[in-house]
Amino acid sequence: MPDSPSPSNVFSALPAVATERVCQPSVAELEVIELFDRFRDRLSRYVLTFGLSVQDCEEVIQETFLALFQHLKRGKSRRNLRGWLFRVAHNLALKTRLRSRRDGQASADEQLPLGGIMDLSPNPEHQLESAQTRRRLLAAFQALPEQDQRCLSLRAEGLRYREIAGVLDISLGSVSVSLARSLTRLTRVSER
Amino acid sequence: MRHEELHPSDSELLMCIDGELSEREAARTEAHLAACWNCRARKQEIEASIAEFVHFRKREMAPALPPAAGPRALLKAKLSILASQGEASSSWLAVTWLPGKASLGKAAALVCLLFGIVMVMREGVGKKAPAVFVPDARLTPGATVLAGRQEVCSTSEPKNRMVPVSLRKQVLEEYGVGNAEPRAYEVDYLITPALGGADDIRNLWPQSYAADGWNARVKDALEDRLHEMVCDGQLDLTTAQREISTDWIAAYKKYFHTDRPLETAQP
Repeated sequence: MPDSPSPSNVFSALPAVATERVCQPSVAELEVIELFDRFRDRLSRYVLTFGLSVQDCEEVIQETFLALFQHLKRGKSRRNLRGWLFRVAHNLALKTRLRSRRDGQASADEQLPLGGIMDLSPNPEHQLESAQTRRRLLAAFQALPEQDQRCLSLRAEGLRYREIAGVLDISLGSVSVSLARSLTRLTRVSER
Repeated sequence: MRHEELHPSDSELLMCIDGELSEREAARTEAHLAACWNCRARKQEIEASIAEFVHFRKREMAPALPPAAGPRALLKAKLSILASQGEASSSWLAVTWLPGKASLGKAAALVCLLFGIVMVMREGVGKKAPAVFVPDARLTPGATVLAGRQEVCSTSEPKNRMVPVSLRKQVLEEYGVGNAEPRAYEVDYLITPALGGADDIRNLWPQSYAADGWNARVKDALEDRLHEMVCDGQLDLTTAQREISTDWIAAYKKYFHTDRPLETAQP
């Protein structure tokens, strides 16, 4: 087919000088990137609730996916990779927070894990919404015990109760009690 | 029927909504809800509360997330380095996420070490401004627009079309030279637009100016030769596109019948 157009070609590889690698990305690399595309936002939102700076959060996410790569490469269990990702990100976020506190650079008030990232000034799209309700909800969320905040955030990111229990290392029963308690508190606030 | 008289707790209602009850428990709760207006109202309140929380979260968190493209490219680069290093680094990396208090200090130290290594790596790349003579086929496989010989030969494409600044930045970052002296590289089309190349990150790569020998001028000469040959009917467009994107240096050698860049192409 001379002259026929090829919309986007995948021509054969040539040795890559930049990274001195001859081969194409391995299956594990491609899988990690695919999972990154699927879970990066969800994991970032969760990690941000630990009160980390956006930069620290990005680093936690990078480390999480590098650990996933090693995990897959060593042929470890592939069951519930979603739960695995959240658990690893959770542990890394805790360690990063510990470190940044030790270095005296805690980015957000300890009492207010979301204070660092939440912008309370009304943005143009939501100017009509009651800033007061938002403020109340935020305050109510931040007043929840840390574990309740985590449960709620993980559930909001689509995790099932068993996965949440695994990430936080608590019982199934604690997950449902925590979620119900938090939702009741938030409802009371918004109705006030 | 006695069970139906017992009002479910908030957490049971929530579990019912979330599909976390066993089949039997779910059936019992549904039966109760059908009979009890009070509990149905409570269930609705819980659902409204969920909706409100989800809405609140989306609104508050979305602006905090930076775009994924940069971190994605960085991860890709780190993965390819890790993969080429093989197993050597894998054992201590694994420790960093193991739970358990005993290893916490050790693990934290390792996390710091890892961050350190990554930072050094990034800085190192930035300072050295490594020479790039051929594109990385994984990052830049080449991409073409839907254009045949007629279009390519009838339009007079400007020889050096400008690459938009944002795209240029993305390309440099993709190649891990985002921190390098910007004037060290020309971000060049792998398949030139004059041969139907696309304005696409897959068709752009940073070519070192410093390179003597196989530099941008030599490639320009090849592009002119191939364009000429395609339009004279000596070579079909697809072949030209494939050869320049697969190994442009080999293509130069083939079409100029030489093993070294010709003098005319030198500065």
